[in-house]
Amino acid sequence: MSDPVLIIGAGVAGLTAAVELADSGVNTIVVEKLPTVGGNALDLYKAFPTDDCFYCFEGNRWRPGIRKCFYRSALIDQPNMDLKINSYVEQITGNSGKFEATIHVGPEYIDAKKCIMCGLCIEYSSAFSLVSPQCQPQAVTYDPDKADEGDKKAVEECPTKAINLDAQPKKETVSVSDVVIATGYHEMKPVNVDEYSYGKHPNIVTQLELAQILDPIGATDGKLLRPSDGKPAKRVMMVQCVGSRDENYYPYCSKICCVYALKHANILTEERDASQVSVVYMDIRTYDSHERYYREARENGVEFVRGRVARVEPKDENELDIIVYDSLLDKYLKFTVDLFVLSSALEPPEGMDNIIDSLGLNVASGFIAPADLVSENEVVAGDHIYACGTALGPAEVPESVTQARAVASKILQNRK
Amino acid sequence: MTEADEKDGPPVVLVDPIDMSKLDSEFRNEIKSMPYGDELNACFACSTCTAACPIANVWTYKPHQLIRMIILGMREEVLSSDEIWLCLTCFQCQERCPQKVRVTDIFFDCKNLAAEESKIPETIVGLAKTLMEKGQLYEVTADWEREDMDLEPAVPGLSTNEFKDIIKATRTGKIVGGEE
Ligand SMILES: Cc1cc2nc3c(=O)[nH]c(=O)nc-3n(C[C@H](O)[C@H](O)[C@H](O)COP(=O)(O)OP(=O)(O)OC[C@H]3O[C@@H](n4cnc5c(N)ncnc54)[C@H](O)[C@@H]3O)c2cc1C
Ligand code: SF4
Ligand code: SF4
Ligand code: SF4
Ligand code: SF4
Repeated sequence: MSDPVLIIGAGVAGLTAAVELADSGVNTIVVEKLPTVGGNALDLYKAFPTDDCFYCFEGNRWRPGIRKCFYRSALIDQPNMDLKINSYVEQITGNSGKFEATIHVGPEYIDAKKCIMCGLCIEYSSAFSLVSPQCQPQAVTYDPDKADEGDKKAVEECPTKAINLDAQPKKETVSVSDVVIATGYHEMKPVNVDEYSYGKHPNIVTQLELAQILDPIGATDGKLLRPSDGKPAKRVMMVQCVGSRDENYYPYCSKICCVYALKHANILTEERDASQVSVVYMDIRTYDSHERYYREARENGVEFVRGRVARVEPKDENELDIIVYDSLLDKYLKFTVDLFVLSSALEPPEGMDNIIDSLGLNVASGFIAPADLVSENEVVAGDHIYACGTALGPAEVPESVTQARAVASKILQNRK
Repeated sequence: MTEADEKDGPPVVLVDPIDMSKLDSEFRNEIKSMPYGDELNACFACSTCTAACPIANVWTYKPHQLIRMIILGMREEVLSSDEIWLCLTCFQCQERCPQKVRVTDIFFDCKNLAAEESKIPETIVGLAKTLMEKGQLYEVTADWEREDMDLEPAVPGLSTNEFKDIIKATRTGKIVGGEE
């Protein structure tokens, strides 16, 4: 029997590749550094282009499982998938279809098969927490750095005896036939872009942070509230291209921030009762049919200002005065807002350069570049080495999924 | 820095921004509710209208800027601008707008709103007066051209009285009457 396929990263791209391969009878090992799968898509509320959770669409409804989620059911029902959470790949040796991978598997403090997420342990100790009600595996997590007196009580009281505080990390060495890199992206924390004062006022957030505010299962139950005082945020300003298309940070266009900024602007005006939403931009890049988000936003009365932010001046703890240069009018405009949202660059995740260096891959602006730059095989990163999703650069979910399926198809073709 | 320092020192930025809270955010809805304004919000500031306009090069505010000012709520500036009256109503902007914004028609709406508030340039009021008094803007005078063409000195059967009565009863009549 052939060796399994190693997939690094369990975001939508990595999971799609894993499920497609597993469904085709190929064994897969999925290594995820966090305690839950899902990656950046975990807290996105509504996703373009369907305005729904991408995996709940009709075609996947045949799968049994909780709330019809594709991944949940796959992770529960599919025996060919071996998911290792809290884990990372230490080293990969070998080549051309015969790799040895050393995996550091984090300690399994909570047995996910036993945990029923009753939340009792969380009451006893702050070392226990629930990353997200959507988390998968469905279990709480334990952080040994926060260990305290309540831990032992939690172990005793846990109704299913799911907690093992003596769990140790393991090192596993596995032979794999192919490596799929699906390590995704990271939204830049724009602390260094001084003119926007990120980190200096609670009501200055990034788009990903806004997505979390809008998420109905998030801390504010999806209500649009000012982080400073929890009062409703009525006036919102967004600014595009923060750290993208800027030689001082990232020279490339992050490609999807225009679309999700406008997705958010529409949610704010249609569902969240915001009275004034402005978007400061240099270009609006709503590619393909996503132009409809732009048109819809204008119809909703979203205010578009072409130009740049001149100054951000906190008025008090709750309000910000923002002076914008409007290059179409050649005038300076002053807005007072409750929430200032930065469309910050999407950058390669931490550790990406290690993976690229150790496997000798091509690189493009810090992300993985195809092995053959002129071919159309953008998912082929090397001999039996593949990449998909945002590990190849900023992309939306449908594109990430298409690439993951292309990877599965390449691997299956090679095995015939 | 103490508060006193802050007040005494020079301003941090040497710009005097337009305070958005002082503008009329309802202006765009006012225009939108008028017969031709429904597509106003669709404008994405491409400036095709200005590129199409045969005379905007001499305007302080170009057509795309006027549309933008309407959306921003700069009611005062738009309604007292000369540009809405200088517009030739040639409709080239409206023909070419990729978002179907009825630019020329919107400028008509603006003129109507301005007129209601008596914000009409002198020259236009002058024209209205002529229309009221003479019943026509271009009076036919006996001149050599008519003579050369063997035409009678006056247009036969032309009577402007009826028209004068009608125009007196319209808003034009009120505007001119109110001014006097
Ligand atoms: C604010 C915002 C809104 C968005 N809205 C939409 C939308 O509406 N529609 C849409 O289609 N797209 C949207 N996107 C884009 C979407 O998030 C991405 O397309 C998608 O999440 C990419 O999935 P991925 O699997 O490629 O990467 P990720 O989601 O980043 O997953 C990568 C995974 O790999 C793990 N990982 C990273 N490095 C390692 C390592 N060394 N070892 C082990 N594991 C590792 C990470 O922990 C993570 O779980 C939005 C993005 C943002 C920022
Ligand atoms: S007490 Fe046990 S079952 Fe309940 S959430 Fe904690 S670990 Fe899970
Ligand atoms: S997608 Fe839009 S906001 Fe993002 S970098 Fe490109 S132009 Fe800027
Ligand atoms: S042509 Fe139309 S869309 Fe373009 S700026 Fe003029 S009104 Fe706006
Ligand atoms: S209708 Fe007026 S604004 Fe439009 S192109 Fe003609 S002159 Fe310019």
